Amino acid sequence: MIRGTCWVADDYVMAYDIIIQEYWTSAIDPEDNSKWVMAGVKEEFNKENAFKDNGHTFIVAAHNFAGGGKSIEHVITGLMGAGIQAVFATSFARLQFRNAINYGLPFVTCDNIDKGCETGDELEYNPETGIIKNITKGTEFQSVPAAPFVAEVGEAGGLMNYVRDKIAKGETIE
Amino acid sequence: MGMTITEKIMARNSGRDSVVPGELVWTDINSVMTMDYLGKTCFDKFKSLGKKEVFDKNKVICVSDHLVPPPNQKFATMLNEWREVVKEHDIANFYDLGRQGIAHQIMVEQGHVLPGTISIGTDSHANTYGAVGAVGNAIGVTDAAVAMATGKAWFRIPQSVKFNITGKWQPWVMAKDLSLHIMGMMHWNGHLLYKALEFTGPAIESLSMAGRMTLCNMTVDLGAKNGIVAPDIVTERYLRNRTSDAWEMIVSDEDAEYDQVYNIDISDLGPTIAMPGKLDDTQPIEKLIGQKFNKAFVGTCTNGRLEDFAAMAEIMKGKQVHRDVNMILVPASQTVYLEALRAGYIETLVEAGAAVDTPSCAACAGIHTGVAGDGDIVLSAGNRNMTGRMGSKKAEIYLTSPSVVAASAIRGEITDPRTFDI
Repeated sequence: MIRGTCWVADDYVMAYDIIIQEYWTSAIDPEDNSKWVMAGVKEEFNKENAFKDNGHTFIVAAHNFAGGGKSIEHVITGLMGAGIQAVFATSFARLQFRNAINYGLPFVTCDNIDKGCETGDELEYNPETGIIKNITKGTEFQSVPAAPFVAEVGEAGGLMNYVRDKIAKGETIE
Repeated sequence: MGMTITEKIMARNSGRDSVVPGELVWTDINSVMTMDYLGKTCFDKFKSLGKKEVFDKNKVICVSDHLVPPPNQKFATMLNEWREVVKEHDIANFYDLGRQGIAHQIMVEQGHVLPGTISIGTDSHANTYGAVGAVGNAIGVTDAAVAMATGKAWFRIPQSVKFNITGKWQPWVMAKDLSLHIMGMMHWNGHLLYKALEFTGPAIESLSMAGRMTLCNMTVDLGAKNGIVAPDIVTERYLRNRTSDAWEMIVSDEDAEYDQVYNIDISDLGPTIAMPGKLDDTQPIEKLIGQKFNKAFVGTCTNGRLEDFAAMAEIMKGKQVHRDVNMILVPASQTVYLEALRAGYIETLVEAGAAVDTPSCAACAGIHTGVAGDGDIVLSAGNRNMTGRMGSKKAEIYLTSPSVVAASAIRGEITDPRTFDI
């Protein structure tokens, strides 16, 4: 069970606004990437640690979160470094959806979640059942539960750990 | 039940007889591509997996494209670290400065992508590989590291969407116009999220490999998983001198199931332009005739090929770039550059007053040469036009085809190449 406050995004939050151009060639490092995460999404976040300092645990978004076609993983590590433990949206862009799975950060698809939350609301997410409770408003949402493989990778702490473990044990990947 | 080409490729490369959309599989990877600014991280991650050697030294393709030649010390140092790590792993196919090109162009042009197989790259436009009937997919450095170690990647089988393209191409209308037309029709990253797009029909069969690459290239910007054109005689001719590896003609079954089918007749399709800021805000050229601009740019993995240079040279021969316009042209690879030189296209274009830059991603991603400054209005044949993409947030980018850029650069305002005096 994960509990904390949420930040509610608009439609079409783009990957290249989550991590702006200046930082595309930076090293992939959660702490470093989190300093300027969301800098292009809102002017108020275009300051060092501005998004991170809000201390939110969740992001709630609408359609096509992290879209616009950037495959850089800084987007995911930046969010993780800023303390984000799950993102709920009506849909995700595929490149970052994939990266999120590979890092074990839940990108959770949930219809209507964007309409049922305001920034600062306290939410509680149960990864096993997929139920998202809005404690502040007293409402509840059923999200799409993670596929078994996705859950397995999540439990391993990401694809790197998952594959490293298989290689160490001499197991084949299939 | 039959399968689509993408499903068939996924099935045979995961050792299955059949797959259905939604299924999750690990597949064999033909080639893994990575480039200068992400490559070192790929190798670092690869090493941390506990393997000493990559799965196949001939199948890990390394390309210098975003940072070459280095315009500053930061990039020069990054390139040095990159070269060191590529050397350390004894990578057979390293396309460094001098033999470079944009990674996606290199992958197809040098025969590293085979029909019926799956290749991945750490850059979003890896969808380009679909042009030769392969599944081409963009992935992050984690997936690349895993594939370097194991020769495999995981995929969820996508639903397929068919675009059946009929009709006859009008003069000077290019694959880019069809890409932008579909962008406007389907909306940017809208209804095609996660889908496999298959382009078929007489107007695709008559399309060159360069055109097919442009079309598949931009499917990532539609939010799709991949774009693909079934291999045919055009593919066979194109690959004949590029690879000695055997490959099979995998095509969709006649009774394959599609999530959606769209029929487009291109007979009436004219030059198409995406308005600054949003790829899906497209307009027919008629609405923008006379729009002024001061920078013209043709290059990138979308439109930096020989055919694009040929079209521009034909339009610009004996003419001069307008005095209010700076025109920058960047061949997609050294091979394209040399071919364009030999064919006389470069000479024609330089005589016309265009600047030709060394093959690289150039200003497309806003981090290399030719970037846009405050107040610039750019007419570009690249792939993205969001605010700040080519540099300044105070610049505007109109996206279109190379033939429109060429005709317009002469007049200093957006000009329809169909009505231009050639």
